[in-house]
Amino acid sequence: MHKPSPLSRQRWLFAYAALAPIIAIYLFVRIIPIGRTFLMSFKNWDLISKNKPFIGFENYSRLLQDPVFLNALLNTTIIAFGIVVISVPAALGIAVLLSTPRKLSAFYETAYFLPVVTSMVPATLAWKWILDANLGPMNQLIGFFGIEPQAWLVNPRLAVFSIILLSAWKVVGYNMIIFLVGIRNIPQSYYEAATVDGATPLQRFRFVTLPLLRPILLFVSVITVIQSYNVYTQVYVLASDAQGAPGYVVRVLVYDMIENGFRFFRMGYASAEAMLLLLIVMTLTILQFVFLRERT
Amino acid sequence: MRKILTLLATTLLLTLSSALAQTVTIWSGYPEMEAFYNHVAEGFNEEYPDVTVEILTQPLRDFERKVTVALPGGSAADILEISSSFAARMVQGGLIPALPEDMQDFVRSDAYNDFFVENASFDGDVYGVPLFRGQGALFYNTDMFAEAGLTPPTTMEEYVDYANQLTVRDDAGNPVRSGWSLRLSGGGSGVAEKFWTIMHQFGGSIVEQDADGNWVAGYNNEAGQQALQLYVNLINKDNTLTPELKGDAEGFELGTTAMFIRESWVIGDIASKAPDLNYATALLPRGTIALPVNLYVTSDNQAAYDFVMHALKPENQLWLVENVGWLPNRQDVDYTPVVETIPQLDAFLNIPEDHVLFTVPPISPIDEVQTRLAERLVKAYTDASLVDNPDGIAKVLEDAAKETNQILERAGLQ
Repeated sequence: MHKPSPLSRQRWLFAYAALAPIIAIYLFVRIIPIGRTFLMSFKNWDLISKNKPFIGFENYSRLLQDPVFLNALLNTTIIAFGIVVISVPAALGIAVLLSTPRKLSAFYETAYFLPVVTSMVPATLAWKWILDANLGPMNQLIGFFGIEPQAWLVNPRLAVFSIILLSAWKVVGYNMIIFLVGIRNIPQSYYEAATVDGATPLQRFRFVTLPLLRPILLFVSVITVIQSYNVYTQVYVLASDAQGAPGYVVRVLVYDMIENGFRFFRMGYASAEAMLLLLIVMTLTILQFVFLRERT
Repeated sequence: MRKILTLLATTLLLTLSSALAQTVTIWSGYPEMEAFYNHVAEGFNEEYPDVTVEILTQPLRDFERKVTVALPGGSAADILEISSSFAARMVQGGLIPALPEDMQDFVRSDAYNDFFVENASFDGDVYGVPLFRGQGALFYNTDMFAEAGLTPPTTMEEYVDYANQLTVRDDAGNPVRSGWSLRLSGGGSGVAEKFWTIMHQFGGSIVEQDADGNWVAGYNNEAGQQALQLYVNLINKDNTLTPELKGDAEGFELGTTAMFIRESWVIGDIASKAPDLNYATALLPRGTIALPVNLYVTSDNQAAYDFVMHALKPENQLWLVENVGWLPNRQDVDYTPVVETIPQLDAFLNIPEDHVLFTVPPISPIDEVQTRLAERLVKAYTDASLVDNPDGIAKVLEDAAKETNQILERAGLQ
């Protein structure tokens, strides 16, 4: 058996010592709260009383029969996958178009990336105005195509679509940058060989770019789904108490969790919801690792 | 040695002065109330120059979340301005102390009627000082009414009739002005409260106590069915309003609705946003909701109690209604001068004895009950299949009542 040299051991110790503060902080702000939330999910606590009776899996069994929670789960899933369906192909298309350096490439890259660094609240407020049924430019835009004005934030289906559209717009720049890095790392010789073989630009994309980008495509898709399961701010701002806002039409998991915990004082129930959300996100993360490992 | 003594004396003086300088913190969930507290603080500081008053206002739901977390953690403000229904859980949980005896006596005096005293009390003690109330009345556009030759409606049949008469539609038949704006969507329990107000005219209630003292759903009956049918018909059959048409205070100010039911704060809102609007107010047919908001002192800070008493002075109560629009709860103050200046306040301040004021009961799960019901109502309002469908209406209310009763049972109220 290989025995580590004293120097090597010192290096390991140094590495652990250097990492210790970060691990301690991570433990304190992430692991311990998750652990406590897990324990809380088996209790009935109203946030105020000192008694926190243990009720086993009752919170979980109630959750799975709660139509409001199931609706929130369905909405969140539709939104999460809807964002992927719109943002990933859009980001890939933009990245392909911008992959060949041109005069205004840097400008376009910045323009598409700008929503990523824009704060979610003002961005959502701007979208709220865009989607306003009476005054919003979105209805004027679709009016050019002869489509009747729509109640984007009132109609349940359109409200979900509005959230998807806003979220996809917000994330497309980030995904584009990752695709762009991936495309620029594909050796130019592959394209040259394909061109020599008579491949058209579309065939080069189909048979060279896409296969070589597959791990990145998978990474971007899964990361986008995971992030999208945490959708909250855009829903909260669009659904804030104003007349005509979607309210519960666009109930999502995090919104439901906060409402149960801090408005209805059902901390145990909200904790159970949080654990189910964690389970979904962890499953997606594990799937990502498994698939990425297979690909590499 | 002299230097050391000087240093010690200075330190002692600084310590004493910082101990003497007091701070009173106030949290409110109504941003428009900041002006009131600033006004009260000005007068208060003339009597108490050493007390610093710190005011924090936030939108209501954020404020409630903040209080929920801060109060059990002991980091809430000295004075909390909260509704009696929201305070109920905190009071019952022992997080808010009862008022000192002299203040309890003041609240129980003729200064307040029993409705407000009961809503500020628990188990025989008074915990909150009634400050103001949210109370509904009809707002109507006098120009639109005059044009249609109408006087304020006095029955629910007239409300529906007026809604039809006052609606204006475009060439395609879509309403561009609603005759009567109803609350159809939005977060929170507001949807249920507005429904409650309409249903109250038919004699129903969201929750009520049965003969055994158990709390049960009170809307799965004829009154509830009449109220829901009214909403469904006006939207889907009479086509007098749509969810996307601007309504509520904003729509009233923009002229996209002829009448709506709201609290008195709208008067101040109209004064600032649509000062040229010609409008009046009127009582509702049977009665209206009144949501008392009280001041609760959370700490043993005498300056906080003094500040609360200062806020209740008659001149401050008059300032509140005249400048903010919320209705003060003291009944021993003469509001005539304000009503003369702002005649729209008449329907809010001069309530006939037979006009029934009802409120959200101080039971812990009431917000959840209303919020869950609101979700079902929002869906039902625009469900065209419920038009002239009494069985469908009854089913919606039956399912909702089942959920309400489950929530009440879970909270140990059945």
